[in-house]
Amino acid sequence: MKIKAHGNFHQVLAPALFLLPNILVFSIFIIIPALQGLAMSLTEQGIFTKPKFVGLKNFSSLFKDKVFLTTVSNTLVYCLFTVALIVLVSLCLALLLSKNTIKAEKGFRAVFYIPSLLSMIAVGIAWRFILGDEMGIVNYLLRTFGGQGVHWLTSANLAMGSIIAVSVWASSGYYMVILIAGLQAIPTDLYEAATIDGASTTRTFWSITLPLLKSSLLVVLVLATISSFKAYELVSVMTKGGPGYATKFIVQQVYQVAFEEDRMGYASAMSIVLMLIIGAFTLLQFKLTGKEQDYE
Amino acid sequence: MKKLFLVLAILAIVASGAFATAQAEVKPTTLTVLWFNDANESDVFSATIADYLAANPNVKVDLQVVAFADYEQKLKMMISGGEAPDVARVTTNMMASLVDTFEPIDSYVADINAVKAQFMPAMLAYTLDREGHMLAYPTESTANGMLINKTAFDNAGIDVAAVSQNWTWSQWAEIMKTVIAANPTMKYGLAVDFTPHRFSTIMYQFGGHFLNADQTAMDFNNEGTINAIKFFKEMHDQNLIPKSVWLGSENPAELFQAGIVACHIGGSWNINTYNKNVKDFEWTVVRCPVGTQRSSVPGGKFVASFKASPNKVEAMKLMAAFSDKAHNEAYCLGTFNLPSRLDAQIQYPTNTEQFSVFAKDLADTPAYTASEWKSPSLAKVTTTIKEQIVQVLLGNITAEQAVKNVDEFGAQFF
Repeated sequence: MKIKAHGNFHQVLAPALFLLPNILVFSIFIIIPALQGLAMSLTEQGIFTKPKFVGLKNFSSLFKDKVFLTTVSNTLVYCLFTVALIVLVSLCLALLLSKNTIKAEKGFRAVFYIPSLLSMIAVGIAWRFILGDEMGIVNYLLRTFGGQGVHWLTSANLAMGSIIAVSVWASSGYYMVILIAGLQAIPTDLYEAATIDGASTTRTFWSITLPLLKSSLLVVLVLATISSFKAYELVSVMTKGGPGYATKFIVQQVYQVAFEEDRMGYASAMSIVLMLIIGAFTLLQFKLTGKEQDYE
Repeated sequence: MKKLFLVLAILAIVASGAFATAQAEVKPTTLTVLWFNDANESDVFSATIADYLAANPNVKVDLQVVAFADYEQKLKMMISGGEAPDVARVTTNMMASLVDTFEPIDSYVADINAVKAQFMPAMLAYTLDREGHMLAYPTESTANGMLINKTAFDNAGIDVAAVSQNWTWSQWAEIMKTVIAANPTMKYGLAVDFTPHRFSTIMYQFGGHFLNADQTAMDFNNEGTINAIKFFKEMHDQNLIPKSVWLGSENPAELFQAGIVACHIGGSWNINTYNKNVKDFEWTVVRCPVGTQRSSVPGGKFVASFKASPNKVEAMKLMAAFSDKAHNEAYCLGTFNLPSRLDAQIQYPTNTEQFSVFAKDLADTPAYTASEWKSPSLAKVTTTIKEQIVQVLLGNITAEQAVKNVDEFGAQFF
């Protein structure tokens, strides 16, 4: 009996006790607010007014709301391009800076990593000074050398492109570090065996590096996707969602509806839809990249 | 003798105990004051109330200065989360959106009518709820007006003081073409802050409005408003107004200070900013051009306490002291703002002329402008108004469609 009780402690209670602090924090800061948000999405209420239950009315209104649908479309475009470019750029950087083939490799790593330490507000302000139509440094240089200013932030297409480029610049260094860790975990004897077998660099990349980097890439994909769906500060500072609705994302619309229009219920419904979209994308990514292969 | 000594000793102990109790009753109070800055207001506020705090050592102030961009959200979250500050600086927009959360001043003063009579009627109007309770003390009054680069006009040989006395918007546009031509580095005629409040200066001058006469419904779809939006777009299309402000969020004050635009429609608080920052050219304030009428937009800042504030009594005392004649004059002098009190007499060290031009525009402003901007419902529509105007500027919709869209959207809040 004693042994069984001891076994129960190690197998059931001990793990539960270790997990308890995390479960508590996660419940208080994530689960409970999410449930409150779900409940709020079924009501009509302002910040200072009492809730009135309206069932699924907020959700049905969402699908007729042209501005909301535009923000969903903008968010998806931004997410698609940003995540794809982040994966590509951070992978290239990781491959370049993980093999001790470049002088001052650690210095370069730091240079690429530093932008990810900056607040997105600071990044946005800095890039607004760089890309501004009239006061921007880039346009100043273009005009000084006889060219014309470019509407980096006032043309709808260029504004979205500028936001994506700055996001990739600001985030790639962080994901590069994750991928460098993944690359360094790949056993070197696999590469040695491939070299003996006469495999080319390209073949080695596709047959060894990429498959064994899959779990790290999945982490990068999931984190970058979630982060890009929640992009707020950068857009608020650089374009305020403009010109027009060109760079307005779901989170900006949630903020506007909740705090400027005082429609907390409707804003909560938007947040729930955003949560479902992120959940669906994350599941899809797990599904597509989830099958692990053992090369050991 | 021993008995007498004993009695005296007991009395002394009781007296000292009573004194200690009395001392203990004066509890130290720390007032949380939430503040934002246009320029140097938090510093001047601290300096202004220093004498009050010295005279009331039991009161301490925990001054929390928040960036304006985050201010309203933080304040709303504090109130809804049960952590309302004791005192907060609020704008006219916030007066509207937070109207139900303020603690009325009426029961904390001996004669509320005497208090009300101390302030400018337009400023007082912003502070009154539906029942006429006074919810805040006005601290400074503001007005929208036209700040200009005088050097640029001089370079074009234009006597701006003379031409601006009765100029119309169409005359202004012609003059601007001359000014831009005469100044190689100047590219535009006018920068207008990217806010519906500043746009409404032009809208009111064209005879437009947001709401119906008794402020019970949206009425943005009117001839004056449509004409104002069309004029605004035309000025953008003619490159007299830079697209980078309303389409790209560039700061109009920075464009003005860099000498890229000749005029700036902004608030009276810019006097303080330009006084400090503009060194390369001479600037001044002129009368706004006329559309169908003269108008500015009255506004201001206030201090208020909240129903949920923990130290309302001390907060009310502090606000009353801060708003008396001497303190209000000191604050407005230090911040280069127009006073909110009728009896304030301020001799600004500089820029008296500029202040008087703002005051003249304010005096010609129709009363309904203040009534509209104190509407809590309008406050919920302003972002959509801004977005619809931008859609017109982009050429995606017409001015007629924009005003119709705004009225349809805004109807849900009335």
